[in-house]
Amino acid sequence: MAREVISTGNELASKAAVEAGARFFGGYPITPSSEVMHEASDLLPVVGGKFIQMEDEIAGISVALGASMTGVKSYTATSGPGISLKAEQIGLGFIAEIPLVIINVMRGGPSTGLPTRVSQADIGQAQYPTHGDYASITLCAGSLTECYTETVRGFNLAEKYMTPVFVLLDETIGHMHGKAVLPDLEEIEASIVNRARFDGPASEYKPYDVPMNKPAVLNPMFQGYTHHVTGLHHGHEGFPTEDAIQCEFNIERLVGKINVVAAENDGLDDLPDYEEYMLEDADVCIIAYGSIGLGAYEAVQKLRAEGIKAGMFRPIMLWPSPAKRIAEIGAKFKDKIFITELNMGQYTREIERIIKRNDFTTLLKANGRPIAPAEMVAKVKEMM
Amino acid sequence: MRNTIRFTGVGGQGVLLAGEIMAACKIKEGGEGLKTATYTSQVRGGATVVDITLDDGTIRYPYANEGEIDFMLSVANVSYNQFKSGVKPGGIIVVDPNLVHPTDEDRQKWIIHEIPIITIAKEEVGNVITQSVVALAITNTMTGVLPKQSLVDTMLSKVPAKVHAANIKAYELGEKYAHIAMGK
Repeated sequence: MAREVISTGNELASKAAVEAGARFFGGYPITPSSEVMHEASDLLPVVGGKFIQMEDEIAGISVALGASMTGVKSYTATSGPGISLKAEQIGLGFIAEIPLVIINVMRGGPSTGLPTRVSQADIGQAQYPTHGDYASITLCAGSLTECYTETVRGFNLAEKYMTPVFVLLDETIGHMHGKAVLPDLEEIEASIVNRARFDGPASEYKPYDVPMNKPAVLNPMFQGYTHHVTGLHHGHEGFPTEDAIQCEFNIERLVGKINVVAAENDGLDDLPDYEEYMLEDADVCIIAYGSIGLGAYEAVQKLRAEGIKAGMFRPIMLWPSPAKRIAEIGAKFKDKIFITELNMGQYTREIERIIKRNDFTTLLKANGRPIAPAEMVAKVKEMM
Repeated sequence: MRNTIRFTGVGGQGVLLAGEIMAACKIKEGGEGLKTATYTSQVRGGATVVDITLDDGTIRYPYANEGEIDFMLSVANVSYNQFKSGVKPGGIIVVDPNLVHPTDEDRQKWIIHEIPIITIAKEEVGNVITQSVVALAITNTMTGVLPKQSLVDTMLSKVPAKVHAANIKAYELGEKYAHIAMGK
């Protein structure tokens, strides 16, 4: 039986983390994400987990990575400025292949920007949050329920692919307070993915000796295996190497274990990477994600009431993007595609890249205010 | 049936809690309720607006649509001026006359009631913090959107037991002043 709760997006993200098996949170408070942390401090001690508020953002992610290396599912939460500070350690997470869920409740930027106001300007940052080559997994919640379900999914993907995973909320969805219907606990528990482990003798433990496009098999620390974890390129046992063939293989594998796998399997898991709303018979397609999708539902309804057959495509997994479906939408709707997002076109560029045209109608905003359904309706009418 | 209500004030006045109570009560009654708050990065004194959407069906977009707000209550002039345009023509606005000063033009456009909310909380209830409950009572009495007892019960579930009596008193005073303002 589904559970009905009254909550906020931020609180639901932490509830999801704990119910997905997280037992460690390390972080530093920042508007508009602080309630994720408050909730973690309430929930984790009750289930025997650990919560630490560290001295800064960098320390917050460092302890979370450390906890994850001991086999404990861990998470941190912040907003864009915090991701900027955490960038170096996120890179360590990518190259050393440490599972971690990073919740980013987006606010206006760059720099300290607009602390209390909504934005979706960290979409590009989530794709490439740090230097070097790697592939990011980024989920974007578009409802209170998804603040819960996508966080659970984030933990499962982090464990399956041995990598940091971003769960993006934004100020609107993180702070809005209302009803959410959650899957029951048994269903969540049945969905839990735990990282693979090596059960052979310690002398044969080679965590990075894995085939192309497969994630590392890292055993938890302090269980009888010898560990060497480094941000330097490393060989099979984790010790530094500059061997050209090994370095080439490392990067191809880091990118391929996400991007190639997603392209070959049409996604990274069996869950939906996007939602379509009244798109089947539509003449015009609105593309929106996160909290902007909430306004787009109403825009579709208002347009249909006026005789314009509109529909919505809402990506949930932003990176790697649901490219196959976006390409199909491009072929079907041609120039009758309207993209709206709270930044200057960060995801528009991805859609242009996939569909290979750049004549879409857009409504882009970066002033810290939401986009009202009426604004979307007016823009779509101009197109018809 | 959709009702859209807006509370405006400045940071720290407790308007957020009143919004949460209304949304929670509507959900308890089997409908949907959604509260969003917009505030500034000032710790205190920044313009704050809370939008509450109540509906028997699904609510997606959580903010009030411009010109569709049925009822607004304001306890700060800065936020009154910034957010009044969201109220539909002929809609009801309640202001604290010691803090908010509507123009003559405003009075022609909307039905404006003046109730000294802060003074009632401070002097008659004896606790300024109860102003959000006075506001809650005025809002529900004037709009009739939620069953009174259910709203009071929801409110009491969200405030500490030791201030239950003060908050019940605040609710009753709010209700009384709303009736007086409406000429009942």
